[in-house]
Amino acid sequence: MQKLTGLERILKTVKHQEPDIVPHFEILIDKKVRDAIMHNANASYADFIEYMDIDAIVVFDKTMTWSYETLDAAKGIKRDQWGGIIRFTTTDLGHPVEPVIKSEKDIDTYVPPDPDLDWRYDELKRLVKRFKGERAVIAHCTDVFDIAKESLLGDIAYFKAMIKNPDIIDRVNEIATSYELRFLKNCLDVGADMIFVSGDWAMTKGPMVSRELTKRFIAPPFQRIAELAHSRDVPCFKHSDGNIWPIYDIIIDAGADGIHPIDPMGGMDIGEAKAVFGDKVCLCGNVSCAFSLVTGTIAEVQQETKEVIRKAGKGGGLICMSSNSIHSGVRPENYVAMIKTIRQYGKYPLEDHFDNLVMPQGKKWS
Amino acid sequence: MVNLNQISKCIVEGDSNAALELTKKALDANVPAKEILDKGIVLGLKKVGELFGRGEYFLPELLISGEAASRAVELLEPVLSKGGTRPVGKYLIGTVQGDVHDIGKNIVIMMLKGNGWGVTDLGVDVSPEEFCSAVQKGDYDILGMSSLLTMTMPNAAKTINDLKTAGLRDKVKVMVGGAPVTQEWADKIGADGYAPDASAAVRIATALVGKS
Repeated sequence: MQKLTGLERILKTVKHQEPDIVPHFEILIDKKVRDAIMHNANASYADFIEYMDIDAIVVFDKTMTWSYETLDAAKGIKRDQWGGIIRFTTTDLGHPVEPVIKSEKDIDTYVPPDPDLDWRYDELKRLVKRFKGERAVIAHCTDVFDIAKESLLGDIAYFKAMIKNPDIIDRVNEIATSYELRFLKNCLDVGADMIFVSGDWAMTKGPMVSRELTKRFIAPPFQRIAELAHSRDVPCFKHSDGNIWPIYDIIIDAGADGIHPIDPMGGMDIGEAKAVFGDKVCLCGNVSCAFSLVTGTIAEVQQETKEVIRKAGKGGGLICMSSNSIHSGVRPENYVAMIKTIRQYGKYPLEDHFDNLVMPQGKKWS
Repeated sequence: MVNLNQISKCIVEGDSNAALELTKKALDANVPAKEILDKGIVLGLKKVGELFGRGEYFLPELLISGEAASRAVELLEPVLSKGGTRPVGKYLIGTVQGDVHDIGKNIVIMMLKGNGWGVTDLGVDVSPEEFCSAVQKGDYDILGMSSLLTMTMPNAAKTINDLKTAGLRDKVKVMVGGAPVTQEWADKIGADGYAPDASAAVRIATALVGKS
């Protein structure tokens, strides 16, 4: 098969067709890891994507399109653009400390951030100019569920309101959804090739809320985002850590074209996912960034990456990725080993490299 | 006459107001506070834990039930201490250094309080030094450390080592929890207990102080 571009490779696998090689990208790649691999602290994120020939580049909303106001530099405390107070410690992403909405009355006077500010799209425009047609340029957005429960209401208040005061949830959901829809429409106008929505719906043991509450509050905003994506003929991927077995059908029914990261920490086996719902969505994962990429040997990373490809690569529908992101604890040499293994063992037809390829239940590949 | 099963039912349903009202009525009717706690609130929380374990209850239900129990216990606390009833145990808790996740820790606190534990919360991003200092100054039965990030888990191990170095390790039992934490890892770092969820945390803590 002739060599595809990164964009073609991803779009083909999303359509459940076998591309030339199993695609790869990451939603976040820590700068320390990138610099160590490139031996160049001055190289940009885009330089790294090109250097490693990665199939897509993600414009991560929180780090590239949100505004922050520093409140206490020494303690890493900032106010995010929604008004929530967050604290940065060991990761590039802050963690919520105090929400902006303390009572229902606060919603009446709440002023959301403006999605139409030109600067939000500066990085996306640069990346579209540099990579358009060659690599997928992905517009990332934070799930409305995350914004509403972290920045706007606070997680405990949010979860309690789901039962005690559903109207509040509907109101804050609408605030965040309106922003995200406008923001993503602008991203698509600029030239984004895909949408990727992060934010967990599940924990290690299972979903955060029941199926009923997931359908009532969490899935509808994502569904509206997926509908926007599909109206523009671009795929929409959904991320959720944790055990999503009890709700995977809700994610698919809401319009996800891909699910990331099929979390092994949540007991998600990618072969089982391939067999059960691998014909409905593209699977994105799941080389462990909690264990093998952090503390494993090169051989262990190679073995795990090969297993992901063997279990989920047949027929397309797999983007081989880490089980969350390439965070600062990932060993640079392990990430390189993962990419090299994908390039070596991800070449289609996979039968050339593996026996016992996994197939979706009842499916016969032509 | 207040039926303590009704208090249990209010806890299971997460009805804080009704739980408070019935607890007041029970106290007014001279039902011993310890009996209200054990046969009303704790039984309710036990049922909540079972429902959570079976996947019938989720975070929202756990939170509203935990809040109902905590509020009812607050009402009982002065009566319990006046009558000489000591808490089940004293629990020191915090999220480890470098980590500011707190929802898991806060749910554990709610469940512990609802089950009659005295809890001191050191908050988030707690350094090994701060944990050690609190253990030294206080009279705690258990130190619980929460870690939601793989990269912050080693700080729980460091705290245990620092406790050993300071000669404080035998002063408290140590429990660990959080999404990436496993029993295997808890054993490896020398913790006394690991809890995968808040209900298990209460159960294991109670067993560690020999009151299960």
